[in-house]
Amino acid sequence: MTKPRVAIFDFACCEGCQLQIVNLEEDILKLIDVVDVVEWREAMSEQSHEYDIAIIEGSITREEDEHRLEIIRSRAKILIALGACAVIGGVNKMKNNFDFNEVRQCVYGKDGQMQHLNTERTKAVDEVVQVDFKIPGCPINGAEFAQIIRSLLVGKKPFVPDYPVCVECKAKETICRYEYNQICLGPITRAGCGAPCPSAGWRCFGCRGMAENPNVDAAQEVMTLYGLTVDDLKQKMVLFNSK
Amino acid sequence: MSVHTVTKEQFKSFVSALIASDRRVVGVQAKGDRFAFDDLKSAQDLRLDYDVTILPPKKYVLPQQENLLTFQVNGQSQSVCHQQKTVLIGVHPYDMAAINQMDMLFSQGEYDVHYMNRRKQITVIACDVARPSPNVFASSMNTATIDHGYDMLVTNIGSSYVVEVATDKGKELLSLMNGARDASQNDLGARKAVWDKNEGWLNQHKLDCKPSFLPKLLEKSYQHPVWEEKARLCYSCGSCNQVCPTCYCFDVQDEVNWDLKTGCRYRAWDGCLLQNFATVAGDHNFRKKRADRFRHRLYRKGKYVPAKIDGQIACVGCGRCITACTAKIANPVEVYNELMKRTEIG
Ligand code: SF4
Ligand code: SF4
Ligand code: SF4
Ligand code: SF4
Ligand code: SF4
Repeated sequence: MTKPRVAIFDFACCEGCQLQIVNLEEDILKLIDVVDVVEWREAMSEQSHEYDIAIIEGSITREEDEHRLEIIRSRAKILIALGACAVIGGVNKMKNNFDFNEVRQCVYGKDGQMQHLNTERTKAVDEVVQVDFKIPGCPINGAEFAQIIRSLLVGKKPFVPDYPVCVECKAKETICRYEYNQICLGPITRAGCGAPCPSAGWRCFGCRGMAENPNVDAAQEVMTLYGLTVDDLKQKMVLFNSK
Repeated sequence: MSVHTVTKEQFKSFVSALIASDRRVVGVQAKGDRFAFDDLKSAQDLRLDYDVTILPPKKYVLPQQENLLTFQVNGQSQSVCHQQKTVLIGVHPYDMAAINQMDMLFSQGEYDVHYMNRRKQITVIACDVARPSPNVFASSMNTATIDHGYDMLVTNIGSSYVVEVATDKGKELLSLMNGARDASQNDLGARKAVWDKNEGWLNQHKLDCKPSFLPKLLEKSYQHPVWEEKARLCYSCGSCNQVCPTCYCFDVQDEVNWDLKTGCRYRAWDGCLLQNFATVAGDHNFRKKRADRFRHRLYRKGKYVPAKIDGQIACVGCGRCITACTAKIANPVEVYNELMKRTEIG
């Protein structure tokens, strides 16, 4: 059996998700045993135009990136979006809440007017091309990534939960943030991470994007049960779930 | 079998002796400002004065996730079975009632080897409730006290514990309990007083009917407006299922190993409130609406499961779902009482 050729590409992101793959340690050796990695800027210098599986990290913020992505899509049999930036736009979408001139000014000061810093509204990968599989999270969970890749390799539909984080949080027997009248995005966020943030005493920040059919209307009303407001909730959602 | 009395110090030595034995010993301990069952490292950490644990002891008979078998892709499979003698210390009567129900459910029809294997290796030391949790309503459900299912039952009568040994498994442990004397009439009287008290005061929410009336009530309530009224705020987060001592649904998944030739099948807790719980082949979801799923849980507790287990109601009044539901809609008593108010029973 010939090994499927895999190429990994990055767009606007911190490359943290690729790092999670590098950090797979023992598993990474097993991974390159079963696939043929033909392009991966973070880990090797080779480049290739021939691959079966394209893994896309990062969100799309420039016109030329859209073209590059379209070309990758046309060459790949399977295209996987990797991490929050690629799957939902992630933190990069915060920008979409502001006037772009102001954003440039604020981030780059007087250099902000330079042409190459011109960017468009941030898009998730599936707003530009068709995506076959999504691996959410900021950063991704290495074990989940490995499980999804193995499933694809044997032709099995990978299991990615569509239910909220609360399921995994409860399974871990964590005390719910709402018992202390604190906001947590767990009830509307997609599970699969194992709820590490609430377990560590934080809230869920929503990095995996929305669960299937989230009850956002309820969320607005439920906040009042805890002396909180819709704005408190929206504020917490800006980080990963801006439009 | 026999009823004894031990001092609290003697009981502590007994727990230490258990920990020193070759058994896995699990007991209730503080977790932040709440309580949880966990492996016991020292008798010092055992908290029999707890009100309720975040998760029920269900996690030891039906773990959050457990491997069922290993397989070869397109080949043979081999069942994985768990083998470890475990002692659970501090199971409250309502949780014992829930385990008793699961014992029936997993042994009838398709006998569940994985569940039954674990169950057989567990020795349960139950204990009577020392103080009501904020949402308990076991008194309403007749589960504030219990007379069977445990191997040993411990009741705090103030200065000492009354220890009832109910089975051979319990008797086996008794040999580690130095200083136990036969319980006196006085001790038994004191224990009875604890029971009488618990049968009244573990009742933060009062059910307006006898639990045995619920199946009949639900027969007439399928179209009741309360389902929609409550479910409007439901997140479909499944927390009410996850924390429930009588919810036993699980989902089965396969995972392949890196050799792409072998793998394992595991099961993990599922919940009927989750959006795709009832989605079957062809992506057809036969409980698509939140209200349908919300209603389903309360029908399971009050009508469907009782039909399988001689009429026992599958809500034991632990109150955990009430605490766990962030939308504050899961309280079974509120719903059932609402049905009582607005349903005509012919
Ligand atoms: S999803 Fe998070 S970790 Fe991954 S690339 Fe984007 S910002 Fe970095
Ligand atoms: S802490 Fe957050 S994720 Fe956990 S149960 Fe509560 S709301 Fe859900
Ligand atoms: S708990 Fe929430 S923020 Fe944390 S990893 Fe999971 S989805 Fe992301
Ligand atoms: S339905 Fe709620 S109160 Fe009843 S047993 Fe389950 S968790 Fe406890
Ligand atoms: S815990 Fe509450 S919000 Fe979550 S599924 Fe159950 S009823 Fe709905």
